[in-house]
Amino acid sequence: MIDPIFLAEAAVNGILLGGVLALLALGLNLIFGVLDIVWIAYVDLVMLSMYLVYFLVMVYGWPIWLGALAGVGLGVVLGVLVHVLIITPILDSPPINQLLATGGLLFFIQSFATFLWTTDHRSVRLTLPIIEVGGMFLSFARLVAFGLAILAMVGLYLFLTRTYIGTAIRAVSQDRGAMALMGADPQRVYIVTSAVGGAMAGVAAALLSIQYSVHPHFGAAFGPITFMICVLGGLGNMVGAFIAAFIMSEIISVGGVLWSTEMGYVIAFALFIVMMFARPGGILARRQ
Amino acid sequence: MRSLRVALALLLVAAVAFTAGPPPAADAQGQTIKIGVLFDHSGPFSAAGSLNCWRGAKMIIDYFNERGGVLGKYKIVQVDGDSQSKAEVAINEAERLLNVEKVDILAGVYSSAHAVPLAEKVDRQKKFLWITTAISDAVFKGRNLEYTFRPQASSSMFGELSVQYIGAYTQDRLKKAPKDLRVAIIYEDGPYGAGVAASNETEAKKLGMQVVLKEGYSVQAPDLSSLVTKLRAARPDVLFHTGYNPDITLFLRQAKEQGLRVRAYVGHGAGHSQLDKLKEAFGKEVEFFHTVDPIASQLITKQVKPDAAKMTDEMVKRYQAQFDKATPVAAIAPHVSMGFNNLWILLDDVLPRAIQKHGGWSADALAKAARETDIPEGGTMQGYGVKFFGAGHPLRGQNERAFPAVFQVQEGKFELVYPKSVQTANPVLPLPASSPLGIR
Repeated sequence: MIDPIFLAEAAVNGILLGGVLALLALGLNLIFGVLDIVWIAYVDLVMLSMYLVYFLVMVYGWPIWLGALAGVGLGVVLGVLVHVLIITPILDSPPINQLLATGGLLFFIQSFATFLWTTDHRSVRLTLPIIEVGGMFLSFARLVAFGLAILAMVGLYLFLTRTYIGTAIRAVSQDRGAMALMGADPQRVYIVTSAVGGAMAGVAAALLSIQYSVHPHFGAAFGPITFMICVLGGLGNMVGAFIAAFIMSEIISVGGVLWSTEMGYVIAFALFIVMMFARPGGILARRQ
Repeated sequence: MRSLRVALALLLVAAVAFTAGPPPAADAQGQTIKIGVLFDHSGPFSAAGSLNCWRGAKMIIDYFNERGGVLGKYKIVQVDGDSQSKAEVAINEAERLLNVEKVDILAGVYSSAHAVPLAEKVDRQKKFLWITTAISDAVFKGRNLEYTFRPQASSSMFGELSVQYIGAYTQDRLKKAPKDLRVAIIYEDGPYGAGVAASNETEAKKLGMQVVLKEGYSVQAPDLSSLVTKLRAARPDVLFHTGYNPDITLFLRQAKEQGLRVRAYVGHGAGHSQLDKLKEAFGKEVEFFHTVDPIASQLITKQVKPDAAKMTDEMVKRYQAQFDKATPVAAIAPHVSMGFNNLWILLDDVLPRAIQKHGGWSADALAKAARETDIPEGGTMQGYGVKFFGAGHPLRGQNERAFPAVFQVQEGKFELVYPKSVQTANPVLPLPASSPLGIR
């Protein structure tokens, strides 16, 4: 029988992991909610911002906070560029074409990153303290990431509920056609949404940079689980994605300690499959 | 906006066309041997050693071609395949090389996860496969492959040696009897990790050690904190780890952050042998970590025969000129040697015999020549001899004379610490308190 302190440590680690996963999922879900398109390459945009943070901090000696801000800035630019260059022409295309286009973008980004920076893994090396609380060891980097992720999500919530453009974004997510009939400019809303989604990717990049090495195939580790969290929470459902992120991370973390690391992921993925049968619209969807 | 998109698309196509380069040279005279060289040029395995293997293979092929080819007259046409760190792509690339490019020999293969399915498929087609790098026993075990050969050491040799190394120093350095030594084994859950871990476990039990945890994980896992928590709960003295990258980087980061403490940390090749990459991620914190791999040839030039040592000088000279001037000679990854040395054995020993004695380089001629290979210890650049297990042996095709060695990072470079016969430095055991994983 495992000591309860280790179980508690696993539960806390699950919450910390959940914060970052929720941040990733919210950015992706925000874009889907408004544009009705899944950016399969979302985590690869995160990867590009991570490279910028790495080069600014490790090569050019910028302080980490400034590198992180630049990473967020790049996220905004990438979000807008992806929308203008790739999403706009396919906005009214069949969903399969949209998936193929954003999937193609994923392979392009991965190959282009390999071409530019090779397949080497690059790490932002920071000397961070190790925190011990009552026999539990907690990662300082993860605590910081969790705190900032929560702040970013609160900021997103306030933006969507307390600003005019935020309200417009929510309105478009409810009915794309009706907004245009009322004289509003959906294109402007789309661009702002893509910029905000890109900014969330940039924030995630800054927070992941202090915990993970960056490499061209970084998206392979976080892409599938982010997408699964969005689907589990309900595509476009922000609250659902937030809850789903913590459900998945707790199963992975606590399940990993109770059974095995592999079994933690098996249980999480099995739950996902079961939920797709039981509640295909996501955990917060009303029963049909 | 539309014209901007069109311009961008054209620019992209031009860039791709420009970087794609000229097509490979045609087989003009019928006197060329086509070798398909299959490694991972993209994906996680690339930086974990696969690209370095390809560099070694390319350099030795260039070396032969500059001298007129095999036996001075049969030029080699190198046709590259990129497995992209994915088994299904490796299989498709192998099919392309064998049946579209019509290569005479398929060589390379970094990952055991690729080699295991590939070997059986290629052998069934009666095509010749020369594995330079992948180590899993499962490539050969019980399959009776006729056209597949591997000069490289096998996973059971890796797993046994690392445990024997710890066993040799348990009493003296770790101040414990083997029966009191607590060991944990963690591994990526493909054939490579699982193969090494299985022999770790068997050998540890044979030596009477307590295996307190044995657990696999996916190389793509985004989080390994639960594994670290379990390890802390199991309190091992020694941790044996088999992984690629970025999984080992992720594990080591989380192990440090979560306060994992052990007396010795022993990796097994792949990511653990890419010292420059580890140092980039962890700096001096990798001091006193171990890896197990065949010996990088530049570390044992005095223990090998002069013609093999001469080839090592050639390899080092070319590597520094073509790929990496900055890396000190001692730190050139063993994977460069695996590509260079293991292909040298094919080009210098097997192919000439196939041509002169068995009438050419058909798969049958090559297999016959390989079965006759008999290179004594010290006869190759990496120190080992070559003789392949024959028909009736469960590992038919595996080099029975190959051996790996245990290395430890000391003062920023790999030193050979085991077996004692090839030792270049005394091992530092247990991990000192200055190490992030050392017991305070």
